[in-house]
Amino acid sequence: MARLTPTAEMTTGPFFPPRYVDDGAHDLTQRNGRAARGERIALHGRVVEAGGAPMHNLVLELWQADAQGIFRDARDPRHADADPGFAGWGRAATDADGRYRFTTIKPGAYAMPDGRMRAPHVNVIVLFSGIMRHLQTVIFFEGEAGNETDPVLTAVEPAGLRPRLVARRDGDGYRFDIALRGDGETPFFQD
Amino acid sequence: MATVTLYGVGPMDEATQSTRVIPGYPQTARRNPAVLHRRPLTRSELTGPREQAAKLALLGADIAGRGAGQAIGQLIHVRLKVVDEDGAPVGGTMVEMWQANAAGRYIHPNDDDHAPVDPHFYGAARVLTDESGAVEIRTVKPGAYPVPDSNHWWRPPHIHFSVWGKVWLSRLVTQMFFPGEPLNAPDRILNAVPDGAARESLVCRAAPTSEGPPNALVFEHRIVVRGRAATPAA
Repeated sequence: MARLTPTAEMTTGPFFPPRYVDDGAHDLTQRNGRAARGERIALHGRVVEAGGAPMHNLVLELWQADAQGIFRDARDPRHADADPGFAGWGRAATDADGRYRFTTIKPGAYAMPDGRMRAPHVNVIVLFSGIMRHLQTVIFFEGEAGNETDPVLTAVEPAGLRPRLVARRDGDGYRFDIALRGDGETPFFQD
Repeated sequence: MATVTLYGVGPMDEATQSTRVIPGYPQTARRNPAVLHRRPLTRSELTGPREQAAKLALLGADIAGRGAGQAIGQLIHVRLKVVDEDGAPVGGTMVEMWQANAAGRYIHPNDDDHAPVDPHFYGAARVLTDESGAVEIRTVKPGAYPVPDSNHWWRPPHIHFSVWGKVWLSRLVTQMFFPGEPLNAPDRILNAVPDGAARESLVCRAAPTSEGPPNALVFEHRIVVRGRAATPAA
């Protein structure tokens, strides 16, 4: 079958509707009135551009496995056992100081078909004015032994950049700051 | 373990996609990473969310209003179809759209342009596609507007779309342009796509007036999200 060319992405521009960041979309810990299982955490941080200016109204979206490492998707071989209280997706926007905050559960590790393990992680999409193609990054968690062998984290070279993808324990959760470009630039992926 | 249907995302022809840093659009030089890393693709990126409507309220497909609440402007219907790289419809997926009013003004705190606000037009729809991947949105044609501090750059009439495909890597935010608009050719954003055919695919098609409702013009458009069901045998 002929392959169609994917439509070119374009920036959200500066006028992404405020009503598109619904109240509650930043909270992943409920589904159909049920509470998610696992360790409830805040996942928060600050987003800056090159030069350090904070980004206001920048949109972040998350996709992650549940506490057992299962994705709510039929392509996950264990999806029948997915947590009925967890859908794995959320959206938040940054405030005037560039700060965002999600409430979620800490995802579990899972085994890949070849037996290698994916360490606990959260996939992140960044959308904003001036970002022509959505940015993809991944949040890992401080103190996880599996970080050393995770195939995505260890794909980041040089290795000295990898700590930038590891969220640090902070208060009631974990902190993950994002630099879109320049000093301390967060590793982003092109797939 | 259950059998899992393969669904893949392959490399894209970069000429068909937007350049990340654009001359004359200074924010792009501050907000796009200097380095992009490659990674192996795993279950995590090749699965994706389905239940956005549980977190994001649907807003309805008729944003032009009715009766005394009717927006000012050229009434149009946008017939959008969302498909994957196989041409397979993406049914039941969320589509968000937003646009300026007929005078080129957005309802947004960042828009302090002098163009008038239309009290009957907010300019945002959020709907789910049907099983054929289609949605039809009733709205008014957006106006052009000047980009502040840009040395006379005006955005042509356009509608923003945010859609989800079948997996995480299929996420797509884009803009749809209108045929025959003189501001299309010089637009710095539309011109960020190097390939001419890919650029042209961002311009919707005006349907014959005989195919529309009696009181609105119809524009048809297709969005292709990344991903295909199977690797070709060859």
